[in-house]
Amino acid sequence: MDQRLRHLAEQLDTGLIARREFLRRAAVVTGGTAAGLAALRTMASGQPKTKLRVWLFKSFVTNANDVLGRQIEAWAKERNVEVEIDWATFGDREPKFVAAIEAGNPPDLAEMHIMGPTRYKAVLRDVSALAGDIARGKGGLLPFAETAMKIDGKFLAVARYSMTTVFFIRRDVMETKGLKPPKVYDPDVVEFARKTQDPSKDLFGFGQTLNRSDDGDGFMENILWDYGGGSWDKDGKPALGTAFRAQNLKALQFAVDTIQKHKIQPPGVMGWTDVSNNEAYMAGKLVTTNNGASLYYAMVTKKHELAPKTQLVLTPGGPGGSFVGSSCYNWAIFAKSKHADLCEDMIRWVEDEKRFGEYLQVSVGQAGPVYKGRVDNPYWKSDPNFEAIVQNIVRSVNYGHPGPLTSAAVEVRAQHILTDMAGRVVVGGLSAEAALKEAHARVEEIHKMRRT
Amino acid sequence: MATPAARLPAAAALRRRGASVAFARALGPDYRLGYLFVAPIVVLVLALVAYPFGYAIYLSMTRKYVGVPPVWVGFDNYVKLTWDGFFQRAVYNSFIFTFGSVGVKLLLGMAMALVLTRRIRFRSFWTGVLLIPWVAPTVVSALNFLWIYDYSLGVLNYLLVKVFHVLPRGVGWLSEPGTAMASVIAVNVWRGFPFFGISFLAGMKAIPAEMYEAAAVDGATALQRFRHVTLPALKNIIVIVVLLSTIWTFNDFTIIYILTKGGPGGATQVLPVLTYEIAFGAQRLGEAIAVALYMLPAMAAVIIVLARYMRKGGAR
Repeated sequence: MDQRLRHLAEQLDTGLIARREFLRRAAVVTGGTAAGLAALRTMASGQPKTKLRVWLFKSFVTNANDVLGRQIEAWAKERNVEVEIDWATFGDREPKFVAAIEAGNPPDLAEMHIMGPTRYKAVLRDVSALAGDIARGKGGLLPFAETAMKIDGKFLAVARYSMTTVFFIRRDVMETKGLKPPKVYDPDVVEFARKTQDPSKDLFGFGQTLNRSDDGDGFMENILWDYGGGSWDKDGKPALGTAFRAQNLKALQFAVDTIQKHKIQPPGVMGWTDVSNNEAYMAGKLVTTNNGASLYYAMVTKKHELAPKTQLVLTPGGPGGSFVGSSCYNWAIFAKSKHADLCEDMIRWVEDEKRFGEYLQVSVGQAGPVYKGRVDNPYWKSDPNFEAIVQNIVRSVNYGHPGPLTSAAVEVRAQHILTDMAGRVVVGGLSAEAALKEAHARVEEIHKMRRT
Repeated sequence: MATPAARLPAAAALRRRGASVAFARALGPDYRLGYLFVAPIVVLVLALVAYPFGYAIYLSMTRKYVGVPPVWVGFDNYVKLTWDGFFQRAVYNSFIFTFGSVGVKLLLGMAMALVLTRRIRFRSFWTGVLLIPWVAPTVVSALNFLWIYDYSLGVLNYLLVKVFHVLPRGVGWLSEPGTAMASVIAVNVWRGFPFFGISFLAGMKAIPAEMYEAAAVDGATALQRFRHVTLPALKNIIVIVVLLSTIWTFNDFTIIYILTKGGPGGATQVLPVLTYEIAFGAQRLGEAIAVALYMLPAMAAVIIVLARYMRKGGAR
């Protein structure tokens, strides 16, 4: 009971005040308290909510984007937080980060590309405790993801999923010709393509651009590794035209030969962007191509006639093995954020297995595992085509392989050095040796600058 | 009699008054008020033009990565660029792209203006139609051309191969060395020639009909009338339009970025795209600004010529 009411009751009991006076005073006390509480409640609800700026990646898998957006809004409602969500897609993601960081106004939390933690390490918050906690709960990180998220011994981001590439094959064409999926590029893919293509009907055996694009850059990186080469040695020193010169030369020559000598690619392939092979494949003009799961997602969700006729297999390899460049989308909190606790809470919320499962279900293979525990998720058995996605992810390697993932390795990829090298041969008329030498000089220059 | 010490402030006051009178004589009696009136625009120009420009020059002389403070390197970025083969190709491509585009735009714009000055049916309608490329957003135009040029799915190859049978097989318009640059120039021309045409049309309409009549009486042919009447009368407009278009085309980013991203193999790499790539791809901001500023003297010369012509035109 309220102290004042108790006191009044005692006074009434001892006859110090009349009953009428007791009722009057009690009414004043009770009414005043009720009015005060109502005012306080109004004031409390009038307080501005904590505002969180979250930047998300807008992938081609639109259903998954919708699920993530809804999950974050649900979290915000639960925690009484106002969230301002901003989406950025492949092309505008990095310019947005650069502009925001340089303007001193980055978001609190962002969904980043695998390059993010390496690129923006100077402005990201150490999230080792959170990342470690989440990883432990999911059986630990896959090796490539751990390397990409952990910079100088600290986790600067929490891994989310891997969007890998796989080899797409027109199963109907393959079966008609009595062929099996190719294991290596040379000679398997070349022979497979030759046997299946029919240029007179505008059907080509292989569609892989060597132009400046994610698809082209990824392929060039993989093919150098497949031939036992690469841009970097195991110590992270430039090796394109030195230690791995012989291997890289063979790899470059093969890439160029797919267009010039073997003629298994469509004539316009050097002008392709990232969507060109998707369009060409869906238009029935390609028998095989390398692409991310977004192409499969597009076919499945649109109930495209080629969806059931498509088989996804492991990316072919070469004499040095079979390699796939890694992908690891992740959550990074900017050091400037005043709401790091809330950001961490939001990451835990969306990375909860039930919610991630919801995201996974609509991703049609795009949200590949980065945690060991997610590799065995029954979802990956729900479609035979997912097997290649998971296996490709598990064996994937980072930029800089066989050396460490460095800022220089990230920049070589971002600057399209390898696709420019191929383009200089195919379009510029340089010899493979000259193009390799020119590209090596650029790698050396980047290495020198990033070291200083 | 005043002491020398007392005379000093008086002399200073006299000098100040003398300066004030001289200013008033030179700048007018209300010159103080004048300062007040121009102050806002001076502050605005300093804040929005001079400061960012000065800061850009400073940054171009630093090694500046995203999120970390700049490190002063003097002229290193400029020196490095001078000897960089990729940059040299971008400069070369920029000139090819600019002068190729402007040259064709000049010819097409003149043709457009000449046709539209004739008494043709639905002249207003055709004028409107020809202005569409200029009015349409560049991004939309470029994306349409990306599809038009596509080897397998593009309408251009379809028309040339399947409809008109001009070619036995399609051409990789954006992927082959002989056609990539020509293709991006064609898009720039398509988008830019209406500006030339409409400017020339306005100029031609201002030429007195009597001049053509007098030339015709003197026995001048159509070509001679064009050469000796139209061209001299349009001279100033031609210079201004060409110079403006040169500046715009030199700085055009959208068309090449959307169509080729500077590829294949750097065949269409121009300075604006290179600047973007170094800034946001490599994230080396100092060097990116150096790329952007490298051609500033050449562009400044163009701007000075343009400004002089415009002032002369205004004086007349």
